[in-house]
Amino acid sequence: MIRALLATLVLAGPAQAADRIVSIGGAVTEIVVALGEADRLVARDTTSTFPPAVRELPDIGYARRLAPEGVLSVDPDLILATEGAGPPETVDLLRAAAIPFVEIPDGHDRDAVQAKIVAVAAALGVPEKGAALAADVDAALDAATAQAARGPRPRVMFVMSVQGGRILAAGRNTAADGIIRLAGGENAVTDFEGYKPLTDEAVTRAAPEVILMMAREGAEDMSDQVLSHPAIRTTPAAAARALVQMDGLYLLGFGPRTAQAVRDLSDALARAGS
Amino acid sequence: MVVISPDTAAAWDRALLARRTTVLLALVLLTVAACSLTTGAAGTSPWTVLADLLAGREVTVADRVVLFEIRLPRLAMGALVGASLAVSGAVMQGLFRNPLADPGLVGVSAGAGLGAISAIVLGGFLPAGLAAALGYYAVPVAAFLGGWASTLVLYGIATRRGRTSVATMLLGGIALGALAGALSGILVYMADDAQLRDLTFWGLGSLAGATWTKLAAAAPLMCLALLYAPTLARGLNGLALGEAAAFHIGIPVQRLKTVAILTVAGATGAAVAVSGGIGFIGIVVPHLLRLATGPDHRYLLVNAALLGAALLILADVIARIVIAPAELPIGIVTAVLGGPVFLWILLRQRGVLDL
Amino acid sequence: MLEATDITVRLGRREILHGVDFRARPGELTAIVGPNGSGKTTLLRALTGDLSQDGRVRLNGQDLSSLRPWVLAGLRGVLPQATPLAFPFTVAEVVRLGLMGGIEAAEADLVPKALARVGLAGFEGSYFQELSGGEQQRVQLARVLAQVWRPTANGCPHWLFLDEPVSSLDIGHQLQVMRVARDYADQGGGVVTVMHDLNLTAMFADRVTLLAEGRVLAQGTPADVFRDEALSRAYRCPIRVNTPPEGGTYLLPHAAGQVAAE
Repeated sequence: MIRALLATLVLAGPAQAADRIVSIGGAVTEIVVALGEADRLVARDTTSTFPPAVRELPDIGYARRLAPEGVLSVDPDLILATEGAGPPETVDLLRAAAIPFVEIPDGHDRDAVQAKIVAVAAALGVPEKGAALAADVDAALDAATAQAARGPRPRVMFVMSVQGGRILAAGRNTAADGIIRLAGGENAVTDFEGYKPLTDEAVTRAAPEVILMMAREGAEDMSDQVLSHPAIRTTPAAAARALVQMDGLYLLGFGPRTAQAVRDLSDALARAGS
Repeated sequence: MVVISPDTAAAWDRALLARRTTVLLALVLLTVAACSLTTGAAGTSPWTVLADLLAGREVTVADRVVLFEIRLPRLAMGALVGASLAVSGAVMQGLFRNPLADPGLVGVSAGAGLGAISAIVLGGFLPAGLAAALGYYAVPVAAFLGGWASTLVLYGIATRRGRTSVATMLLGGIALGALAGALSGILVYMADDAQLRDLTFWGLGSLAGATWTKLAAAAPLMCLALLYAPTLARGLNGLALGEAAAFHIGIPVQRLKTVAILTVAGATGAAVAVSGGIGFIGIVVPHLLRLATGPDHRYLLVNAALLGAALLILADVIARIVIAPAELPIGIVTAVLGGPVFLWILLRQRGVLDL
Repeated sequence: MLEATDITVRLGRREILHGVDFRARPGELTAIVGPNGSGKTTLLRALTGDLSQDGRVRLNGQDLSSLRPWVLAGLRGVLPQATPLAFPFTVAEVVRLGLMGGIEAAEADLVPKALARVGLAGFEGSYFQELSGGEQQRVQLARVLAQVWRPTANGCPHWLFLDEPVSSLDIGHQLQVMRVARDYADQGGGVVTVMHDLNLTAMFADRVTLLAEGRVLAQGTPADVFRDEALSRAYRCPIRVNTPPEGGTYLLPHAAGQVAAE
């Protein structure tokens, strides 16, 4: 009770005293841990799965559909939420309960990663650690992208799912598009933005050399099912059996592990293409 | 002790049983309501808060928000939405003379769904001033308008020369639903990932967005419809004999149909607008009550309101605590509870039910 | 008094009734007879206010179209040929449907009384949908009786309109139902009934209207109307009317053997 009163008094500035933090968003949680502030977390959302230790924390649900009472039940004094968390009524309710709600901007390029780290660090009251982490990540990204640029530029198609025989692929302005370009590849699908279903002909025309997918933990290997899809069978990727699967949060999260992800992806693209 | 006159004490009179059921359901509703205020992920106890308030002690902001901004509006919303859906279902079944009818047959659900999807996907195209004014009420408003638009269109299709044909309404509703589905499909295609998730969750239904503002907007219409519905009881009873015989016993059939459709559209439209797609209450509640106390609408409508309210509040409690601190969409709970019950009803009545 | 003048009814492009004049008096049982398709039910529906038609119908001196449904329901009850029931009401509840007009307060045990009149005493708690066709028809008659229980009120006669009330009944119940109708008329009410059975008509009706092809072929007492030539022409088969020596009831056996080739 006293803690809550104190928190309302320091509302304006960074909540240095905040040590009951709810973190919403996989990348946001990773950054909190990377900054060494993991012991200040009391709850996380469903997409926060790394590092494995955070899974021990209570799960307050899906970021865009927060349950207000659920969030309040863990007695937080600060909420860090990735952009787009909601619904807006719930955010208003949480603010009305005098809990600082800080929105961390989202994005899928190098600058976005920097901005996230800086924003989280500021909210946590550790700007110096944030600057250091941001610098480390930036340097690692420099190295990774430089190395990636040296190799060939394969045409890559990110496939979200082949559910029901439909290929759901990533176009421009998606996290998948972002990471592909960072890793030195070229998005084979540029006709649209967002994730959309492709006709079989469009898949053939895109002629990707590598297919990129998320690996779902515990799920069986989808390679055969995907590569034998009638449209994909016509692609150079199928001929070379060039299918790369990586963990979703690692690949698309654009968090502190982005540089490693870029390196791993560019390595995988090079191997697949050969 | 209820005074029983000789007529009502007759062994064949289900009215007494129905009246007793009303009292029982009212008690159940009060109990479930108290349970709803007491239960939740946060540990807030309404009795403690009440005691503190009366003693003039300070109540924490969190407790105040949980009790007065979260649980209480949810309780009110759940009661009104549950009652509205159940009563609308009963009225629809009486109007279509078919125990399988549900409120969606007047076209409300199809239109409301299309309205909501439009708001979610196309909301960005609204002029800035309008978008700011509506805020996050864009979806409920659009759903409400969509529900009314489709009901009026359907009514217009089914009514010729002053006479509404329920058969045409049924078929027209199917056609309208297909059309709405097609348009929704186009919008779903246009949607980005976040919007798709929002669509899905809207369809599953939730009381989580209950605010006093939404209640202020939706409650008057639902209350009006709920208060007016019992006046349809006599007419709906007579309608069970067929439209011709209903006229013979003195019921103004066309007026009954029009008022019934408007009542259902109003109640269901408001309910769906603020809580999304919640299923099964409209079909299962009137069915259970008919099995228990008979099809007399004079008691059926009132009991349906009480039972619908109680069931939805109960479903909300379950939704809030089963995976706390996260929350299940309430449509899932009503489906899990209602689906098997509906199946049981159908199996039980296999011989009697004949379309 | 029930007076219908120049009734013409069209269904789509077909004209079912052509300028029919019809009259019925309270205290009398008036039967409408005729072959299938002659327009009997249509005429009845025009008289009960179900249809819109050209021509005028006056009930107790008032124009039918000017009467609101609930006012009309206080004056007359209608028993259609078949009445399906959508929900599992009990017999008592079905009979009570006719009471919604307000006599409920005046006659507390009207439901058992009405059921007793049609020979279904004790059936109050049974489910309507579980009864036989004949029993269901009699329950509906009980409902109609309950609606206009008193044949006259305040000097105003009440009316029963029956469409083939005995079609699915055995002969014992047929006579019982016809006696109920007869009693109603004797007590001052008006009864108009569409009949297939010419024998019962001859036994119980005061006046008969014979319809054929949407027109009135003959009107009058059974003695006037039931003549060989008129009946044979209307029903398109040779019919002979027999009068037993003791007089009174007319028996109408159909001609045995071949139907005359036309």
